[in-house]
Amino acid sequence: MTVIDPSPRQAERLGPLDELDTPEPLEALFGDPADPGNPVGHQAFVDADERGDFLPAGRKTLESFGIGAEFVPRALGGRLGQADDLARVLRTVFRHDGALALGLGAINLIASSTVWAAGDAGQRRWLASVLLDNHPTAGAITELAHGDDLSRTRLRATEREGGVVLDGRKEVINNVARAHAVTVLARTSEEPGSRSHTLFLVDPAAVPRERMRFLPRYRTSGMRGTHLGGVEFLDCPLPASAAVGGYGDAMETILRCFQVTKSVASGAALGMVDTMLRTVVDFGTQRRLYGRSVTELPYVEAELADVFTDLLICDAMTTTACRALHVLPRQTSVYAAATKYLVPEIEQHAADRLALVLGARSFLREGPHAAFQKHFRDLPVAALAHSGATVCLATIIPQLPRLARRSWFTSSAPEPALFQLGRPLPDLDFGQLEANAGPDDQIVATLLDVGQDRVTDPTLRTLCGRLVDELRILRDGWRALAPRNRTPFAGPVGFELAERYAVVLAASACLGVWWHNQDHPNPFMRDTAWVVSALDRLTVRLGHEPLPQAQSATRQVFAELLSRHAEHRAFDLIGRRLH
Amino acid sequence: MATSAPAPGTRIVDREEIRSKLLSLVASYLEQPVTDIQSDVKLVEYGLDSIFALTLCGDVEDEYGIEVKSTLAWDHPTVDAITDHLYDTLTAEA
Amino acid sequence: MRHSAYRVAEEFDHLLGDPRDAGRLFSHARSLVLDEREEFPLEICRELDLLGLPAHYVPVAHGGAMRAFEDTLQIMRGIARRDLTVAIAHGKTFLGAASVWVAGDPRQSRDLGAEVLRGTPVSWGLTEREHGSDLLAGEVCAERTADGYRVTGEKWLINNATRGDLVCVLARTAPEGGSRGFSVLMIDKRGLGPGSFRTLPAARLHGIRGADISGVAFTGAEVGRSALIGAEGDGLEIVLKSLQLTRILCAALSLGALDQALDMATGYALARHNHGTPLVGLPQSRRLLARSYADLLTAEALTVFAARALHTLPGELSTVSAVTKFLVPTLAEQALGRLSRLVGTRSLLLGDTFEHGRFQKVLRDHRIVGIFDGSSVINLNSLVNQFPLLARAHRRGEVDEAGLHAAAGLADRLPELDPGRLELLPRRGSSVLHAVPAAVAELRSLAAAGEVPASLARRAVELAEVVDEVIEQIGRHKPVPVAAPARSFGLAENYARCFAAAAALQLWLRNRSAVDSAATHGLWESGLWLECTLTTLLRRLRPTRTEHLVAGGGEDPEAVVDQLVEPLLAQHAAGQLPSLLPYSRLGALV
Repeated sequence: MTVIDPSPRQAERLGPLDELDTPEPLEALFGDPADPGNPVGHQAFVDADERGDFLPAGRKTLESFGIGAEFVPRALGGRLGQADDLARVLRTVFRHDGALALGLGAINLIASSTVWAAGDAGQRRWLASVLLDNHPTAGAITELAHGDDLSRTRLRATEREGGVVLDGRKEVINNVARAHAVTVLARTSEEPGSRSHTLFLVDPAAVPRERMRFLPRYRTSGMRGTHLGGVEFLDCPLPASAAVGGYGDAMETILRCFQVTKSVASGAALGMVDTMLRTVVDFGTQRRLYGRSVTELPYVEAELADVFTDLLICDAMTTTACRALHVLPRQTSVYAAATKYLVPEIEQHAADRLALVLGARSFLREGPHAAFQKHFRDLPVAALAHSGATVCLATIIPQLPRLARRSWFTSSAPEPALFQLGRPLPDLDFGQLEANAGPDDQIVATLLDVGQDRVTDPTLRTLCGRLVDELRILRDGWRALAPRNRTPFAGPVGFELAERYAVVLAASACLGVWWHNQDHPNPFMRDTAWVVSALDRLTVRLGHEPLPQAQSATRQVFAELLSRHAEHRAFDLIGRRLH
Repeated sequence: MATSAPAPGTRIVDREEIRSKLLSLVASYLEQPVTDIQSDVKLVEYGLDSIFALTLCGDVEDEYGIEVKSTLAWDHPTVDAITDHLYDTLTAEA
Repeated sequence: MRHSAYRVAEEFDHLLGDPRDAGRLFSHARSLVLDEREEFPLEICRELDLLGLPAHYVPVAHGGAMRAFEDTLQIMRGIARRDLTVAIAHGKTFLGAASVWVAGDPRQSRDLGAEVLRGTPVSWGLTEREHGSDLLAGEVCAERTADGYRVTGEKWLINNATRGDLVCVLARTAPEGGSRGFSVLMIDKRGLGPGSFRTLPAARLHGIRGADISGVAFTGAEVGRSALIGAEGDGLEIVLKSLQLTRILCAALSLGALDQALDMATGYALARHNHGTPLVGLPQSRRLLARSYADLLTAEALTVFAARALHTLPGELSTVSAVTKFLVPTLAEQALGRLSRLVGTRSLLLGDTFEHGRFQKVLRDHRIVGIFDGSSVINLNSLVNQFPLLARAHRRGEVDEAGLHAAAGLADRLPELDPGRLELLPRRGSSVLHAVPAAVAELRSLAAAGEVPASLARRAVELAEVVDEVIEQIGRHKPVPVAAPARSFGLAENYARCFAAAAALQLWLRNRSAVDSAATHGLWESGLWLECTLTTLLRRLRPTRTEHLVAGGGEDPEAVVDQLVEPLLAQHAAGQLPSLLPYSRLGALV
């Protein structure tokens, strides 16, 4: 076993709200993406994508940063402590290149989280050493024929002669042929149901090669640089010690761990929209149409301000979901799935509108705005790479009736640390997570706590009033909803009501983040404009007319967007300088 | 579903009552007559998948005012099995 | 009744053979390989030339075969069903030629007609690198010389700029520019002096990767006087009128794209199982499919109406074309998004795993339709500029009864297309919207007679209310040059939705007794498709509040849409593509 070297990769992390003029260490390694001479700039990533490969210099950058350590719990010598910190590190990579961020980043979390949650000490130490050496890992969980329906997994593991034999295949698996460690979901009983599956941790170097073969690469319309492959095990022997956790435990482990991966992945992917918005603001401030600059057209101003607001909403929702893994671990089954549904939905819509503003250049794979086009084609792949919208909604639908019955208007508000961006939290504890949510929806309770009892601004009060009414209608609606609408056979109304819950959840997260960060160094984040805009946009999603009073807030949001753009600051809740 | 959690301790535990409560719960989710649901058939055979099975635990907790493992219906995959498990838990408590 | 435009399109498509047969020139396999290699579909375009497609770009009056615009449009939709790259690459010739059909003299029109029939590609050079849609900022200039013009400057992101032997160019003929400072020149690159022009490399694109979207730079290129189309200074007007034709033709691209995707998704939903049930049996998946079909039917009805209105209501086309070019691609884009949610991972995979990777190609290809030849933003802005006229005309409420009747009645004979009658502004407003109250009354009496469900009549009544609200808001709009307020764009979107609903209403009423109800699998009977169109458009016009959804244990405001699944599956089983009117699968004949 490798002796774990605690330094030099364990640089102290900058507090999220500290020294906002100093770029994050990883962001600093990437430098100015618009500089055509930058070996890890936008042009270099666009070129690598055209070749269908990772950019070697990009990989080197991540290695020199020690990206693997980000996925290893601190107790095992890595830097994984807080989920929102990890999401921000990965967001930096997504800002530059989705393929790298997914293939050398987020995938490691999918591969490793089950081992941190359920593996034995030896497995955890070994996987930690693989990641600390920056070797790629893979999670061979899904099969193409069954998609997200994991209980129908066909790959079999059979106990034989004191060991285990794997037989079957996994398709569309990121990095599988390059991985130094692979977690494999296998069927260990023919019984239908959720106790028939077991996870195995495979060291590809230790199995007989003739018993394991790799399938040809799958190619996708975006993220062309990722290496999606497949693996086929042909009666492949493994030691009995390869099982991760107990036999039959896999579905439960995965349901818990995927709360972490969904929350972190949603927060990370925002980096792509950050870059898309930045590219369009670049274009809009430089280009002249009809005798003025494009950003001076009222339509464009409104569209860009709305996209910036969308990014703040998504960051509030994902950051809260990530921090809830620490603060409200019994509730995150619902939070993670609602986030993984709503955030990609908002992102795609934002990307579509940005494309209209950018016009023909949104369609070009070359030229000064090619980074937009690249992120635009990568975004849907990232959204689908891990649990699509339907499966996320199907996860929360059966859980909402109970929240309606037991929690909404009853649960009390969470401890403020949930929302306080600068407040450190205890390290992530996978053992605390529950496969389904308890009846204590504290994030939504924030809507009543802050929205009803504390807010004084009249516009904000009106918006909060609308949202509280929505919650009441949802509560009564979910209580009265026909039982079938609470099952996998739910009709469209069940889905739509689940979507609307996600919107109310997002609004609650925005309010909580706004209220509990009144010590934010940027006065814009303390002021009401962004949260008014955010709540206005969210209530429009619920079928309300936009509030006329919210229009002046939109102008403030736009002014902040232009100043952050000019100062190279992130379009998120923190607003740190990028370079 | 009616939620009438009696005060703990005063409850008289009846196995058949638990079974019939569970059967009508499952029938209502499937929108099928309760007579079509068999207590010895696995819930998954009725199409009630892993996620749904998890929510049964919430219903049971609310109904009986006790805490059960969220994977109750995974480990006890038929109405009969859940009935037995609940009966044991409730009698031990009483 | 077999609608002639659909029959003509089907006959043309049949000549191309079954695209699943890799031995055919225009096969799916070839399209996908060309796309991946970014190779121009030269052989396929040549095949289309040999099969006589160019004749459909030339009006009968100029020696071609184009009698009804909708025939050309439906043929183009058929090509787009196979491959958008090919449809855009070949169909560009019509766009390049349109200015001549609008304003050319008889000799120019005859000469161009002959060129097009020979298969000469014609390109249309409007946009420039720094000015995009802002045509009046164009810098390409044409100075007058003794016997013509000397052209200098660069046109960029021009479809077929390199391949096109002829390029129809908008050039500045008065240094000060302005609405009368531009002219249209049909430049024959083959006749230009050496060194007086060069083509620019094709741009690398997200979709339609094989297309020749390039540019051309002129440096003192000398062209004769005969190159001038219309009068000097008429350029902007000619271009805006030509766009009325081409923007409607663009709808064919969106319909073809959505036809393909819906057909693939239907096959997938039948074959794929989840929770032990085929996807098509799961309520949410059914809804995704049905909702997408409703969008297709809405887009198709609007397109059919618009293509016929070109003949019968030419004075209203500035509105019709802007509505069509905004709404059809937008509906298609929405539906494509829903269908990719249904299809999941496979919707993004290249290669043989799913339909040769055609799904991801159509998703990428279709993106261009909402951008080129006037983006959605441009078309909405054009509607905003028409608001004052539209509101005033609506209050007068005149209806061109004959024109409206012939635009909607598929059995009516169309008058010959006369681009000379197109107008820049809709002086008389939109007949189809003015006729909403009468159409609603007609539908209500049908409901009273039990011929259509009462729910359909209720939807129609709701539409009439919404039309009044929208017109009222439009009337209050204060015109602001260039800087139209952001909210007015939303209003223009709503105007377009009202227009589409009104067109659907007319189309159903005028054809309901003539359409063969067995051959359309119940789509037309009792107004099913119309009710679905009205329901889905009204949901965007009047968003549903949560309280309506939860009423009575969960009220589904779009429940009627699910009834579309049955005709969709019946069409699929009968070897047809999903469509308002019967249309057989690619390469086959009914």
